[in-house]
Amino acid sequence: MKNNLLWILKKSIFVFFMFLVSVVRAQDTKVTGAVMDADSGEPIPLVNILVKGTSVGTVTDFDGKFNISVPDPNGTLVFSYIGFSTQEIPLNGKNSLSVKLKADDTSLEEVVVVGYGTQIKREVTGSVQTVEASDLADLPVSQVTQKLQGQVAGVQINQTTGKPGQGMSVRIRGQLSVSGGSEPLYVVDGFPISGDIGSLNPDEIEEITVLKDAASTSLYGSRAANGVILITTRQGKAGQTTISFNVSTSLQKVPQRGRIEMMDAVEFAQFKKEYYEDQGSPVPEIFQDPSQYIGKTNDWYDAMLQTAPMQNYSLAITSSKEKLRTSVVAGYFNQEGVVLNSDYKRYSLRANLDYGLSDKVRMGFNVAPSYVVDNVPKTDGTRGQGILFNALHTWPIMPIYNEDGSRTTFNRFPANTGNIFAFPNWLTSAEQIKNETRDINILANTFIEYQPIEGLTLKTSLNAEIYNRQFEYFSPTTATYQINQPIPTSNEAIWDNRLDFSWLNENIATYTKSVGEHDFALLGGFTYQRYRRDRSRVEATDFADDRLPNIQGAVNINRNGTYDQVQEWSLVSFLSRLTYSYKGRYLLTAAVRTDGSSRFGENNRWGTFPSLSAGWIASDETFFSDQQLFSLLKVRASFGVTGNNNIGNYTQYALIDDRVNAVFGNDFASGAAVKSLSNTNLGWETTRQFDVGLDVGFLNDRISFTYDFYTKNTTNLLYNVQVPQESGFTNFSDNIGEIRFWGHEFAINSVNTTGKVKWSTNANISFNRNIVESLAEGIDRVYGPGGMHITQVGKPFGQFYGFKSDGVYMNQEDLDNSPKVPGRSTVGSIKLIDTNGDGIITNGGDFDDRVITGNPFPDFTYGITNKVNYGNWDFSVFANGSQGNELFVRHLYSTANLDGVFNLLKDVKYRFRSEENPGKGFFGTTVGGGNVTGIERDWLNDRYVADASFFNIRNVTLGYTLHGKDSFFKSMRFYGSVQNVYIFTKYWGGPNPEISVQDDGEGDGGNLASGVDISGYPVPRIFTLGVNMNF
Amino acid sequence: MKNSYKIIALFLGLLVSGCDDALTIFPEDSLSTPTFFKTESDFVQAVNGAYVPLRTINNQAKHYLTEMHSDNTYYARNTAFGATEQQEDLADHSVPSDGGITANRWVTETYVEYYKIIARTNQILATVDEANFAEDSKANIKGQALFLRAYSYFDLVQLFGSLPMHLVPVLSREDAALPLSTVEELYAQIILDSRQAVELLPVKSQQQAGRATSGAARTLLANVHIVREEWAAAETLLKEVVNSQEYRLMADYGDAFSGNSENKNNMESIFEVQYKEGAEGLQGNFLYNFLPRPISAQEVGALTSTSNPQPLNGEGNNIPTPDIIEAYEDGDLRKDHSIQYIGLSESFWNNGVYPIIKKYVEPHALHQNHGMNWPIYRYAEVLLFLAESLNEQGKNVEATTYLTQVRARAGLGAATGDLEMAIFNERRVELAFENKRWFDLVRTGRAIEVISQHGQRIVANPNAYYYPVGAAPRGNAFSNITEHYALPASESSLNPNF
Repeated sequence: MKNNLLWILKKSIFVFFMFLVSVVRAQDTKVTGAVMDADSGEPIPLVNILVKGTSVGTVTDFDGKFNISVPDPNGTLVFSYIGFSTQEIPLNGKNSLSVKLKADDTSLEEVVVVGYGTQIKREVTGSVQTVEASDLADLPVSQVTQKLQGQVAGVQINQTTGKPGQGMSVRIRGQLSVSGGSEPLYVVDGFPISGDIGSLNPDEIEEITVLKDAASTSLYGSRAANGVILITTRQGKAGQTTISFNVSTSLQKVPQRGRIEMMDAVEFAQFKKEYYEDQGSPVPEIFQDPSQYIGKTNDWYDAMLQTAPMQNYSLAITSSKEKLRTSVVAGYFNQEGVVLNSDYKRYSLRANLDYGLSDKVRMGFNVAPSYVVDNVPKTDGTRGQGILFNALHTWPIMPIYNEDGSRTTFNRFPANTGNIFAFPNWLTSAEQIKNETRDINILANTFIEYQPIEGLTLKTSLNAEIYNRQFEYFSPTTATYQINQPIPTSNEAIWDNRLDFSWLNENIATYTKSVGEHDFALLGGFTYQRYRRDRSRVEATDFADDRLPNIQGAVNINRNGTYDQVQEWSLVSFLSRLTYSYKGRYLLTAAVRTDGSSRFGENNRWGTFPSLSAGWIASDETFFSDQQLFSLLKVRASFGVTGNNNIGNYTQYALIDDRVNAVFGNDFASGAAVKSLSNTNLGWETTRQFDVGLDVGFLNDRISFTYDFYTKNTTNLLYNVQVPQESGFTNFSDNIGEIRFWGHEFAINSVNTTGKVKWSTNANISFNRNIVESLAEGIDRVYGPGGMHITQVGKPFGQFYGFKSDGVYMNQEDLDNSPKVPGRSTVGSIKLIDTNGDGIITNGGDFDDRVITGNPFPDFTYGITNKVNYGNWDFSVFANGSQGNELFVRHLYSTANLDGVFNLLKDVKYRFRSEENPGKGFFGTTVGGGNVTGIERDWLNDRYVADASFFNIRNVTLGYTLHGKDSFFKSMRFYGSVQNVYIFTKYWGGPNPEISVQDDGEGDGGNLASGVDISGYPVPRIFTLGVNMNF
Repeated sequence: MKNSYKIIALFLGLLVSGCDDALTIFPEDSLSTPTFFKTESDFVQAVNGAYVPLRTINNQAKHYLTEMHSDNTYYARNTAFGATEQQEDLADHSVPSDGGITANRWVTETYVEYYKIIARTNQILATVDEANFAEDSKANIKGQALFLRAYSYFDLVQLFGSLPMHLVPVLSREDAALPLSTVEELYAQIILDSRQAVELLPVKSQQQAGRATSGAARTLLANVHIVREEWAAAETLLKEVVNSQEYRLMADYGDAFSGNSENKNNMESIFEVQYKEGAEGLQGNFLYNFLPRPISAQEVGALTSTSNPQPLNGEGNNIPTPDIIEAYEDGDLRKDHSIQYIGLSESFWNNGVYPIIKKYVEPHALHQNHGMNWPIYRYAEVLLFLAESLNEQGKNVEATTYLTQVRARAGLGAATGDLEMAIFNERRVELAFENKRWFDLVRTGRAIEVISQHGQRIVANPNAYYYPVGAAPRGNAFSNITEHYALPASESSLNPNF
């Protein structure tokens, strides 16, 4: 009923509009006709029709028919519709037309968003790749970066943890630095944002452009070295009003494949029994009969997991009326996590408005508020930090539930069972400990654009970003993340609130001019950006009541965790660009940006970032005109300089630590000390990049192919150079060293079949390499935090480091004839390789036997998408992969702790027990205690390094579209999809071959220590049903 | 036209100078060197900050490097626990020290923390003369800084021998690494600094309790002279301390040591490291390092009386050896104030009854958080230093009177036998578990011999030294007995002069 009313309303408006047109233009010539799809012959409704050079226009009705009055019978009509090539048809006095619009698969004619403007894709001379948001719409994930995984050649995106709303690591062209940050710059509708891109609702996005080479990014100057991702949000389209409503609902489940296989209760009891037997000591009673535990395994890890629902709703209305174009997107996303008590909710709205005040003046207002609430227990990280890790290690004979069905609170066996680690109930920890983050993010911008004369545009914009994050942690007396922490314990709260405010003013002039076959475009501008973050954190303990964790209720405030912080920076920039083309096929772009930054040392405040690029469209030359094979052949080359200013805000100053407090008698005495060395010469990291590329279109662009080779050198790496601590300091912030990167990228788009069955394939593959050319003077290596990595001159960055191993010493003869660790190696203990040949195994110092044992970087990464349309059916499969990358299975030091203090990997069954029973040569003997087993565990070695190559069938979607039969209801598409369908991998360290987790679970370990698996939040498989409705 | 160029140039000039203002942002939430080190309050805070590393050093590392490195204490092996070789290597004299460097964690921590004190005091000494505030306050601050610097270098030179000697603040990367100074050069500076500190510092009764005093500086300087066998110089300084009337022995030996919040910096105390329990981050937890493990929450609670006792695992350190227990004469009142026995129900060793250090067992409120101070110099040591200095100069009658004062409080009569040995043994028991024994062994040239025998005893009878039946000392135990520690490997890789 409601629908009918709307239908009537709409129809009436349409009729009224037609009437209006006919009245106003009564004296003009009438032209009628129909517009249809050139491929299918179906009529196309709502095609925009404009009389060229006038503002006279109309749209087709729902049968594709139109009726227009034209002032000049010899004028030209312009037919445009989204997804189809625009067609211009001269009337030549005709009164009726039959127009066939061709689907727009000639993407090279598109206009693409580039830095500070747009450009015809065909004429782009840099390395730029565009992804339409509509191509990613079906992926049921919360973040835009998740959707981009595997889509763009040269962009490696890893999901380092499955925590809802978190954990994406994005590297463009393998860029990394020692400590300067490696994430690309995100620019939303021209505004380089400093907040979290994860809070942006992907449904608000129209298009994403990835700028890869320096010529494309250099207009972002000192922030561009890591590449730039431009995000364009939806705008109203000329002449159209569309309403779309998308709903999807999903179920997420952690696959069995790849889970870390731990011993069950029987296997564990058997291990413990053998442990004591092999030592020749009495077996504690509880392990004497392992068979008593048959069917009594407590799978703590599995108990932490749940099947979780997820929903996404989004409503988008775009419209264009007269001079006002609007677009509104409202979204609600709700993901429950697959780990107990984890969830992520996002409420978002975006309103974009563009108003033409006159022919020469245009104004725009965009505002996008969002509110995100998430709650995730500490899941990632090492023992006592991450509950998933803790759960893996909990003895399977420890009960989760009491006999009466209630949960156990604390599990501990007598010390003579070797139970030196007692465990609280992790289910309770997950459920009762609060880790809630509430984010409010508001992006707003406004601009005014004025065209005083033909070709000249002056634009002033003001952008603002407000980001407020409130974090609340509360651990009641009844729960803890800590091992060996009896319940009840003391309660503890953390409040961590921050408010970021960033604003940017840009003043840009552009001038375009054509003289004969010469086309010029000039751009010049001045921008000023300022950022401030206020943060306050309070850590308090010992509340009288678990129900009232208020600051005023805390007995103790922990001073070390309680502080105020202010972070500020400012950036003043001048930018200019010249784009020149001759005959539309000889292309040249030159650009330069000058940045002044408050972050740089006062002697080094200004930086200039120039670039130059050139292209030649060979296929437009006359000697190419005879052939049919190539529709495009373009070669291009670019060179440019960019910077990385992620160096901290005050690194140039020697700061005073005013929390170095003393006590005299019982009197508190506040103290202070210089905590850092100053460097007034400190500057940004500089990257010089050279790129050559080739764009080829075959068979009228049915197949298009792009190839790029790049080489870049990053110098002046910002690094906190270690200084000897005899100075009283540990580090000195300095610009040191050089890394060289190079790589090849291939992308191919192909329309394989047309007609009834349309099948298209997109694929990309990229090869990225790096090598450290130099570090600081006198320093040839830098170790990663945790001692698992080394960064060494002449080698790729952040390589795994440790001993080489060769099984275990099989017998006394083997032991006698092999190098060993003095006083520690025994028969059956791990046999390390004496790489320096001095006869003994040494850990550290001048006679170190450690060497590079692995590489976290892939040989290549790739992605492939296949789409098939048949009638109303659509089907797509997307997969991506990574080859040759390795992971450091850090959790092995405790999941295979041979002292039996934790539960163990199933495979520890096959350890060395005696000469007759030597196992598989991977795990050594348990006899001898920590002095022997500690070598295997603590002397990190190549057994920790595992191949993590993978091929992930990331998404399969099947959809069916119903086309509307009335004017209101245009189409409705139903689809079902499976995300993370199956991962093909040999990786044995855990379920996620993309993992990279720091020891404390906070972040991915940084570049010096990437590719570490300490176990983390699993990435679920997601089953989705959805509907897209278009009105 | 020319004018318009001028206007444009002027405009650009203004723009650029305006930019420089826009680009200068000082941190709002912390001070930086150009604005600090100006006022009296700045320098008071700075000197307070210089004391702070002493808390870290004396909470853990120095016990392992000195007392557990001597024949006074050992660790209580927990066979269920690994990753304890950092401490074991120190007690077992098996610190890997290839090429004169070591990666031992505790060696590195001690080194690094002492150099923090040195850097902080250098910063004060380099800038305090230019500041404008009352001279007496300035003298006091300088005196404390010099005392702390001298004390730091003195401990370092005794532990390591030759070292880099920083006397001015490091301002650049190039200045951070200095060549090694000789032991003689270091001692010359230590003597110079502590002499100045003696002159600049007030006496204890006129100084805030817990800060360095002229008495502490004199004791430090006397200790330096004793190590260098400059007996007469030591005698003069020590007599000044005795005659200052600022110190006396506490009547009861047990009262010589700080309580959790009371009896701190008492009449016998010359200098002690200050701790305070609570959430301000000023607490110690060394008592917990001295407990054998595994120990249950109940057993911990019985010792500490905290409201939230928790079980401890890992390996216990600084457990008194049978030798130190043996070293007390019959009737020595100090024995029961210094050592007590506790029973561990879950221990793997014999019946689980271990001796532990009692001097620092004081009730406190919260687990792993106590406020007992750590003694550096006590008046009893001044008396023993004086006895030793006199005896070495042949003044054995006068020496005996000072020795007797110490023995009398312990309920003991006059010492018998060789006076030099009597004083040496007296120091062992009077100052037991106060990190004196190792330095005494080294300065008297007895270290290698005493430790070799100590090692042989442990290897011959590990069970008497807390190894559970069946467990044996590690193969490399007592394989590397030296008088000095190798320098930290982490520093060696950054300082080409090592």
